[in-house]
Amino acid sequence: MVVAGDAVAEVPGPLGVGIGWREEIDLSIARLPGVDWVEVVAENLHTEHLPETLLALAERGIPVLPHGVSLSLGSAEPVDTRRVEHLAEVTGALGAPMASDHVCFVRAGGLDSGHLLPLPRTREALDVLVDNVKLTQSIVGVPFALENIAALLEWPDAELTEAQFLRELTERTGCLLIVDVANLYANARNLGVDPAAFLDEIPLERLAYVHVAGGIERDGLYHDTHAHPVLPEVLELLGELRSRVDPPGVLLERDDDYPTDTELAGELAAIRAVVTR
Amino acid sequence: MTGRERLAEQQAELLKALLAGGEIPPGFDEDRIRAERIVLRTKRRWVTGFLRPDLRRELGARFAELFDAYAVTHPRAEGVRAHQDADAFGQWLIDRGELKAPKKARWSPLGWIASR
Repeated sequence: MVVAGDAVAEVPGPLGVGIGWREEIDLSIARLPGVDWVEVVAENLHTEHLPETLLALAERGIPVLPHGVSLSLGSAEPVDTRRVEHLAEVTGALGAPMASDHVCFVRAGGLDSGHLLPLPRTREALDVLVDNVKLTQSIVGVPFALENIAALLEWPDAELTEAQFLRELTERTGCLLIVDVANLYANARNLGVDPAAFLDEIPLERLAYVHVAGGIERDGLYHDTHAHPVLPEVLELLGELRSRVDPPGVLLERDDDYPTDTELAGELAAIRAVVTR
Repeated sequence: MTGRERLAEQQAELLKALLAGGEIPPGFDEDRIRAERIVLRTKRRWVTGFLRPDLRRELGARFAELFDAYAVTHPRAEGVRAHQDADAFGQWLIDRGELKAPKKARWSPLGWIASR
Protein backbone atom coordinates (compact mmCIF):
# COMPACT_ATOMS: atom_id res chain seq x y z
CA MET A 1 0.00 0.00 0.00
CA VAL A 2 1.11 3.55 -0.63
CA VAL A 3 1.56 5.30 2.68
CA ALA A 4 -0.27 8.60 3.06
CA GLY A 5 2.02 11.44 2.09
CA ASP A 6 3.96 9.40 -0.44
CA ALA A 7 3.85 10.85 -3.91
CA VAL A 8 1.86 8.69 -6.29
CA ALA A 9 3.03 9.66 -9.74
CA GLU A 10 0.37 10.99 -12.06
CA VAL A 11 -0.04 9.03 -15.26
CA PRO A 12 1.21 11.30 -18.06
CA GLY A 13 -1.12 12.91 -20.55
CA PRO A 14 -1.48 11.45 -24.03
CA LEU A 15 1.85 11.09 -25.83
CA GLY A 16 0.78 9.26 -28.97
CA VAL A 17 3.14 7.15 -31.05
CA GLY A 18 6.87 7.72 -30.76
CA ILE A 19 10.26 6.29 -31.54
CA GLY A 20 13.45 5.76 -29.59
CA TRP A 21 15.77 8.62 -30.53
CA ARG A 22 19.19 7.37 -31.63
CA GLU A 23 21.94 9.51 -33.10
CA GLU A 24 22.29 7.15 -36.08
CA ILE A 25 18.72 7.84 -37.21
CA ASP A 26 18.33 11.42 -35.98
CA LEU A 27 17.72 12.84 -39.48
CA SER A 28 15.25 10.07 -40.27
CA ILE A 29 13.34 10.76 -37.08
CA ALA A 30 13.17 14.48 -37.88
CA ARG A 31 11.41 13.78 -41.18
CA LEU A 32 9.43 10.63 -40.40
CA PRO A 33 5.68 11.12 -40.46
CA GLY A 34 3.78 10.17 -37.34
CA VAL A 35 6.40 10.76 -34.65
CA ASP A 36 4.49 12.36 -31.77
CA TRP A 37 7.29 11.99 -29.19
CA VAL A 38 10.68 10.43 -28.62
CA GLU A 39 12.46 8.66 -25.82
CA VAL A 40 16.22 8.97 -25.43
CA VAL A 41 18.73 6.82 -23.53
CA ALA A 42 19.80 9.14 -20.72
CA GLU A 43 23.28 7.64 -20.41
CA ASN A 44 24.06 8.71 -23.99
CA LEU A 45 23.46 12.39 -23.24
CA HIS A 46 25.56 15.08 -21.64
CA THR A 47 23.54 18.06 -20.55
CA GLU A 48 26.25 20.53 -21.60
CA HIS A 49 26.10 19.42 -25.23
CA LEU A 50 22.77 17.91 -26.14
CA PRO A 51 22.58 16.89 -29.81
CA GLU A 52 21.23 19.68 -32.00
CA THR A 53 18.87 17.36 -33.82
CA LEU A 54 17.34 16.33 -30.48
CA LEU A 55 16.99 19.93 -29.33
CA ALA A 56 15.35 20.77 -32.65
CA LEU A 57 12.66 18.16 -31.96
CA ALA A 58 12.07 19.59 -28.49
CA GLU A 59 11.77 23.08 -30.01
CA ARG A 60 9.08 21.73 -32.34
CA GLY A 61 7.16 20.78 -29.21
CA ILE A 62 7.86 17.06 -29.48
CA PRO A 63 8.16 15.60 -25.97
CA VAL A 64 11.59 14.07 -25.29
CA LEU A 65 11.52 11.56 -22.42
CA PRO A 66 14.72 10.23 -20.85
CA HIS A 67 15.09 6.50 -20.25
CA GLY A 68 17.82 5.07 -18.03
CA VAL A 69 19.53 1.76 -18.68
CA SER A 70 22.19 1.68 -15.98
CA LEU A 71 20.65 2.56 -12.61
CA SER A 72 20.60 -1.14 -11.67
CA LEU A 73 17.79 -0.49 -9.20
CA GLY A 74 17.41 -4.14 -8.34
CA SER A 75 21.03 -4.34 -7.19
CA ALA A 76 21.49 -5.23 -3.54
CA GLU A 77 24.53 -2.99 -3.41
CA PRO A 78 23.89 0.70 -2.75
CA VAL A 79 22.35 2.78 -5.54
CA ASP A 80 24.97 4.70 -7.51
CA THR A 81 23.43 8.11 -6.85
CA ARG A 82 25.74 9.82 -9.38
CA ARG A 83 23.92 7.88 -12.09
CA VAL A 84 20.55 8.93 -10.68
CA GLU A 85 21.72 12.54 -10.49
CA HIS A 86 22.77 12.36 -14.13
CA LEU A 87 19.32 11.09 -15.05
CA ALA A 88 17.81 13.97 -13.03
CA GLU A 89 20.03 16.50 -14.84
CA VAL A 90 19.11 15.12 -18.25
CA THR A 91 15.43 15.13 -17.28
CA GLY A 92 15.70 18.76 -16.20
CA ALA A 93 17.63 19.80 -19.31
CA LEU A 94 14.99 18.21 -21.54
CA GLY A 95 12.12 19.62 -19.50
CA ALA A 96 10.75 16.08 -19.39
CA PRO A 97 7.64 15.31 -17.33
CA MET A 98 8.92 11.88 -16.27
CA ALA A 99 11.97 9.60 -16.22
CA SER A 100 12.41 5.83 -16.17
CA ASP A 101 14.63 2.77 -15.96
CA HIS A 102 14.06 -1.00 -15.67
CA VAL A 103 13.13 -3.69 -13.17
CA CYS A 104 16.50 -5.38 -13.24
CA PHE A 105 20.05 -5.42 -12.01
CA VAL A 106 23.11 -4.61 -14.09
CA ARG A 107 26.04 -4.70 -11.65
CA ALA A 108 27.07 -6.85 -8.69
CA GLY A 109 30.22 -8.02 -6.95
CA GLY A 110 32.41 -5.50 -8.74
CA LEU A 111 31.30 -6.61 -12.23
CA ASP A 112 29.26 -4.75 -14.82
CA SER A 113 27.21 -6.93 -17.16
CA GLY A 114 26.37 -4.06 -19.51
CA HIS A 115 22.92 -5.59 -19.75
CA LEU A 116 19.55 -5.74 -17.99
CA LEU A 117 19.37 -8.93 -15.91
CA PRO A 118 16.36 -10.35 -14.11
CA LEU A 119 15.78 -10.16 -10.38
CA PRO A 120 14.78 -13.02 -8.16
CA ARG A 121 11.03 -12.65 -7.66
CA THR A 122 11.27 -12.87 -3.90
CA ARG A 123 10.03 -10.60 -1.09
CA GLU A 124 13.66 -9.93 -0.21
CA ALA A 125 14.50 -8.69 -3.70
CA LEU A 126 11.28 -6.68 -3.87
CA ASP A 127 12.13 -4.94 -0.58
CA VAL A 128 15.54 -3.95 -1.95
CA LEU A 129 14.05 -2.70 -5.21
CA VAL A 130 11.37 -0.69 -3.38
CA ASP A 131 13.98 1.04 -1.20
CA ASN A 132 16.17 1.80 -4.20
CA VAL A 133 13.23 3.14 -6.21
CA LYS A 134 12.14 5.41 -3.35
CA LEU A 135 15.64 6.86 -3.13
CA THR A 136 15.68 7.36 -6.89
CA GLN A 137 12.29 9.07 -6.85
CA SER A 138 13.54 11.50 -4.20
CA ILE A 139 16.41 12.50 -6.52
CA VAL A 140 14.79 12.64 -9.95
CA GLY A 141 11.95 14.85 -8.73
CA VAL A 142 9.52 13.88 -11.53
CA PRO A 143 7.22 10.85 -11.87
CA PHE A 144 9.36 7.77 -12.27
CA ALA A 145 8.48 4.67 -14.28
CA LEU A 146 9.94 1.17 -14.42
CA GLU A 147 9.90 -1.22 -17.34
CA ASN A 148 9.57 -5.01 -17.47
CA ILE A 149 12.60 -6.64 -19.09
CA ALA A 150 13.10 -9.60 -21.40
CA ALA A 151 14.85 -12.40 -19.55
CA LEU A 152 16.52 -15.54 -20.84
CA LEU A 153 16.84 -17.10 -17.41
CA GLU A 154 14.94 -17.24 -14.17
CA TRP A 155 16.09 -17.37 -10.59
CA PRO A 156 15.05 -20.42 -8.60
CA ASP A 157 12.48 -20.24 -5.80
CA ALA A 158 10.24 -17.42 -7.06
CA GLU A 159 7.65 -16.34 -4.50
CA LEU A 160 5.71 -14.02 -6.80
CA THR A 161 4.71 -13.95 -10.45
CA GLU A 162 6.18 -11.11 -12.49
CA ALA A 163 2.79 -9.39 -12.52
CA GLN A 164 2.45 -9.67 -8.73
CA PHE A 165 5.97 -8.35 -8.35
CA LEU A 166 5.20 -5.32 -10.55
CA ARG A 167 1.88 -4.67 -8.80
CA GLU A 168 3.48 -4.62 -5.36
CA LEU A 169 6.30 -2.45 -6.68
CA THR A 170 3.88 0.18 -7.95
CA GLU A 171 1.73 0.01 -4.81
CA ARG A 172 4.66 0.45 -2.48
CA THR A 173 6.53 3.15 -4.42
CA GLY A 174 3.83 4.99 -6.37
CA CYS A 175 5.91 4.49 -9.50
CA LEU A 176 4.52 4.15 -13.02
CA LEU A 177 5.00 1.23 -15.41
CA ILE A 178 6.39 1.00 -18.89
CA VAL A 179 5.11 -2.21 -20.40
CA ASP A 180 7.33 -3.56 -23.14
CA VAL A 181 5.13 -5.92 -25.12
CA ALA A 182 8.15 -7.29 -27.01
CA ASN A 183 9.74 -8.20 -23.68
CA LEU A 184 6.46 -9.77 -22.64
CA TYR A 185 6.47 -11.75 -25.87
CA ALA A 186 10.07 -12.83 -25.24
CA ASN A 187 9.20 -13.98 -21.73
CA ALA A 188 6.18 -15.86 -23.04
CA ARG A 189 8.35 -17.63 -25.59
CA ASN A 190 11.39 -18.24 -23.41
CA LEU A 191 9.98 -18.58 -19.91
CA GLY A 192 6.41 -19.67 -20.49
CA VAL A 193 4.82 -16.51 -19.10
CA ASP A 194 1.10 -16.28 -19.98
CA PRO A 195 0.85 -12.83 -21.62
CA ALA A 196 -2.92 -12.51 -21.14
CA ALA A 197 -2.64 -13.31 -17.44
CA PHE A 198 0.25 -10.85 -17.14
CA LEU A 199 -1.81 -8.09 -18.72
CA ASP A 200 -4.81 -9.00 -16.54
CA GLU A 201 -2.79 -8.83 -13.34
CA ILE A 202 -0.48 -5.84 -13.75
CA PRO A 203 -1.79 -2.42 -12.61
CA LEU A 204 -2.62 -0.99 -16.04
CA GLU A 205 -3.94 2.12 -14.31
CA ARG A 206 -0.28 2.89 -13.57
CA LEU A 207 0.74 2.58 -17.23
CA ALA A 208 3.00 5.42 -18.43
CA TYR A 209 3.50 4.05 -21.91
CA VAL A 210 4.29 0.94 -23.95
CA HIS A 211 7.44 -0.19 -25.72
CA VAL A 212 7.39 -2.17 -28.97
CA ALA A 213 10.49 -3.66 -30.61
CA GLY A 214 11.70 -6.31 -33.00
CA GLY A 215 13.65 -9.46 -32.38
CA ILE A 216 14.52 -12.83 -33.79
CA GLU A 217 14.57 -16.51 -32.86
CA ARG A 218 17.97 -18.19 -32.60
CA ASP A 219 18.61 -21.72 -31.39
CA GLY A 220 15.12 -22.06 -29.99
CA LEU A 221 15.24 -18.83 -28.00
CA TYR A 222 13.64 -15.52 -28.88
CA HIS A 223 16.09 -12.63 -28.66
CA ASP A 224 14.81 -9.09 -28.13
CA THR A 225 17.41 -7.55 -30.43
CA HIS A 226 15.86 -4.19 -31.36
CA ALA A 227 17.64 -4.90 -34.64
CA HIS A 228 14.94 -6.82 -36.52
CA PRO A 229 11.40 -6.05 -37.68
CA VAL A 230 8.56 -6.07 -35.16
CA LEU A 231 6.82 -9.44 -35.27
CA PRO A 232 3.08 -9.61 -35.93
CA GLU A 233 2.80 -11.56 -32.65
CA VAL A 234 4.18 -8.55 -30.76
CA LEU A 235 1.63 -6.27 -32.42
CA GLU A 236 -1.03 -8.79 -31.40
CA LEU A 237 0.11 -8.42 -27.79
CA LEU A 238 -0.12 -4.64 -28.20
CA GLY A 239 -3.70 -5.28 -29.33
CA GLU A 240 -4.30 -7.45 -26.25
CA LEU A 241 -3.11 -4.58 -24.09
CA ARG A 242 -5.20 -2.09 -26.09
CA SER A 243 -8.31 -4.19 -25.47
CA ARG A 244 -7.77 -3.56 -21.74
CA VAL A 245 -6.55 0.04 -21.70
CA ASP A 246 -5.92 2.98 -24.02
CA PRO A 247 -2.17 3.45 -23.47
CA PRO A 248 -1.00 7.06 -22.95
CA GLY A 249 1.80 6.38 -25.42
CA VAL A 250 3.49 3.71 -27.51
CA LEU A 251 7.14 3.78 -28.54
CA LEU A 252 9.03 1.87 -31.22
CA GLU A 253 12.59 0.94 -30.27
CA ARG A 254 15.20 0.26 -32.93
CA ASP A 255 18.87 0.17 -31.95
CA ASP A 256 20.78 -1.47 -34.78
CA ASP A 257 20.62 -2.57 -38.43
CA TYR A 258 18.51 0.50 -39.10
CA PRO A 259 16.00 -0.01 -41.90
CA THR A 260 14.88 2.55 -44.45
CA ASP A 261 12.71 5.47 -43.43
CA THR A 262 9.85 3.80 -45.27
CA GLU A 263 10.15 0.67 -43.18
CA LEU A 264 10.32 2.65 -39.93
CA ALA A 265 7.30 4.70 -40.99
CA GLY A 266 5.50 1.45 -41.79
CA GLU A 267 6.17 0.07 -38.31
CA LEU A 268 4.98 3.32 -36.70
CA ALA A 269 1.83 3.21 -38.82
CA ALA A 270 1.22 -0.42 -37.88
CA ILE A 271 1.51 0.49 -34.19
CA ARG A 272 -0.85 3.43 -34.64
CA ALA A 273 -3.37 1.21 -36.40
CA VAL A 274 -3.43 -1.15 -33.41
CA VAL A 275 -3.89 1.53 -30.76
CA THR A 276 -6.26 3.82 -32.70
CA ARG A 277 -9.61 2.19 -32.35
CA MET B 1 23.08 -11.62 7.28
CA THR B 2 20.41 -9.16 6.13
CA GLY B 3 18.22 -9.80 3.10
CA ARG B 4 20.14 -7.16 1.21
CA GLU B 5 23.49 -8.79 1.98
CA ARG B 6 22.18 -12.21 1.00
CA LEU B 7 20.86 -10.84 -2.29
CA ALA B 8 24.15 -9.05 -2.94
CA GLU B 9 25.99 -12.35 -2.64
CA GLN B 10 23.54 -14.16 -4.91
CA GLN B 11 23.72 -11.45 -7.56
CA ALA B 12 27.52 -11.42 -7.41
CA GLU B 13 27.62 -15.20 -7.83
CA LEU B 14 25.32 -15.07 -10.83
CA LEU B 15 27.36 -12.34 -12.51
CA LYS B 16 30.57 -14.24 -11.87
CA ALA B 17 29.02 -17.27 -13.53
CA LEU B 18 27.79 -15.20 -16.47
CA LEU B 19 30.82 -13.00 -17.03
CA ALA B 20 33.91 -14.54 -15.50
CA GLY B 21 33.62 -18.29 -15.94
CA GLY B 22 32.36 -18.82 -12.39
CA GLU B 23 30.41 -21.87 -11.31
CA ILE B 24 26.72 -21.91 -12.11
CA PRO B 25 24.81 -21.25 -8.87
CA PRO B 26 22.45 -24.05 -7.83
CA GLY B 27 18.90 -23.95 -9.14
CA PHE B 28 19.63 -22.19 -12.44
CA ASP B 29 19.03 -23.81 -15.81
CA GLU B 30 22.53 -24.46 -17.14
CA ASP B 31 21.52 -24.13 -20.80
CA ARG B 32 20.04 -20.71 -20.12
CA ILE B 33 23.15 -19.59 -18.26
CA ARG B 34 25.19 -20.63 -21.28
CA ALA B 35 22.82 -18.78 -23.62
CA GLU B 36 23.00 -15.66 -21.45
CA ARG B 37 26.79 -15.81 -21.40
CA ILE B 38 26.79 -15.67 -25.18
CA VAL B 39 24.30 -12.80 -25.26
CA LEU B 40 26.32 -10.73 -22.80
CA ARG B 41 29.61 -11.39 -24.56
CA THR B 42 28.10 -10.64 -27.96
CA LYS B 43 26.69 -7.35 -26.71
CA ARG B 44 29.99 -6.32 -25.14
CA ARG B 45 31.81 -7.26 -28.34
CA TRP B 46 29.34 -5.26 -30.40
CA VAL B 47 29.80 -2.20 -28.19
CA THR B 48 33.58 -2.59 -28.37
CA GLY B 49 33.50 -2.83 -32.16
CA PHE B 50 31.20 0.19 -32.31
CA LEU B 51 33.50 2.30 -30.12
CA ARG B 52 36.74 1.02 -31.67
CA PRO B 53 35.98 0.33 -35.34
CA ASP B 54 39.73 0.53 -35.91
CA LEU B 55 40.22 -2.69 -33.93
CA ARG B 56 37.44 -4.43 -35.80
CA ARG B 57 38.92 -3.30 -39.10
CA GLU B 58 42.49 -4.28 -38.30
CA LEU B 59 41.61 -7.69 -36.86
CA GLY B 60 39.01 -8.54 -39.48
CA ALA B 61 37.66 -12.04 -38.99
CA ARG B 62 39.84 -12.52 -35.89
CA PHE B 63 38.10 -9.72 -33.99
CA ALA B 64 35.38 -11.95 -32.54
CA GLU B 65 37.71 -14.81 -31.65
CA LEU B 66 40.24 -12.56 -29.92
CA PHE B 67 37.56 -10.55 -28.14
CA ASP B 68 35.93 -13.71 -26.80
CA ALA B 69 39.28 -14.96 -25.52
CA TYR B 70 39.83 -11.61 -23.83
CA ALA B 71 36.35 -11.19 -22.40
CA VAL B 72 36.11 -14.14 -20.04
CA THR B 73 39.44 -13.41 -18.37
CA HIS B 74 38.79 -9.67 -18.30
CA PRO B 75 35.17 -9.13 -17.27
CA ARG B 76 34.17 -5.47 -17.27
CA ALA B 77 34.60 -4.08 -13.77
CA GLU B 78 32.11 -1.74 -12.14
CA GLY B 79 32.94 1.87 -12.83
CA VAL B 80 34.70 1.10 -16.11
CA ARG B 81 33.00 3.02 -18.87
CA ALA B 82 32.27 1.39 -22.20
CA HIS B 83 34.99 3.30 -24.06
CA GLN B 84 37.54 2.46 -21.36
CA ASP B 85 36.52 -1.18 -21.67
CA ALA B 86 37.01 -1.04 -25.44
CA ASP B 87 40.36 0.68 -25.06
CA ALA B 88 41.50 -1.94 -22.55
CA PHE B 89 40.87 -4.60 -25.19
CA GLY B 90 42.96 -2.56 -27.63
CA GLN B 91 45.80 -2.39 -25.12
CA TRP B 92 45.54 -6.14 -24.47
CA LEU B 93 45.92 -6.75 -28.21
CA ILE B 94 49.06 -4.61 -28.26
CA ASP B 95 50.46 -6.31 -25.16
CA ARG B 96 49.91 -9.71 -26.79
CA GLY B 97 51.54 -8.58 -30.00
CA GLU B 98 48.31 -8.96 -31.98
CA LEU B 99 48.44 -5.28 -32.95
CA LYS B 100 51.23 -2.76 -33.20
CA ALA B 101 51.15 0.17 -30.82
CA PRO B 102 49.97 3.32 -32.63
CA LYS B 103 52.72 5.83 -33.33
CA LYS B 104 50.58 8.68 -32.10
CA ALA B 105 47.05 9.00 -30.95
CA ARG B 106 44.42 11.66 -31.16
CA TRP B 107 41.61 12.41 -28.78
CA SER B 108 38.09 11.62 -29.79
CA PRO B 109 34.92 11.62 -27.69
CA LEU B 110 34.89 7.84 -28.11
CA GLY B 111 38.33 7.38 -26.68
CA TRP B 112 41.88 7.32 -28.00
CA ILE B 113 41.88 6.36 -31.60
CA ALA B 114 45.04 5.59 -33.48
CA SER B 115 45.75 8.20 -36.11
CA ARG B 116 45.47 7.01 -39.67
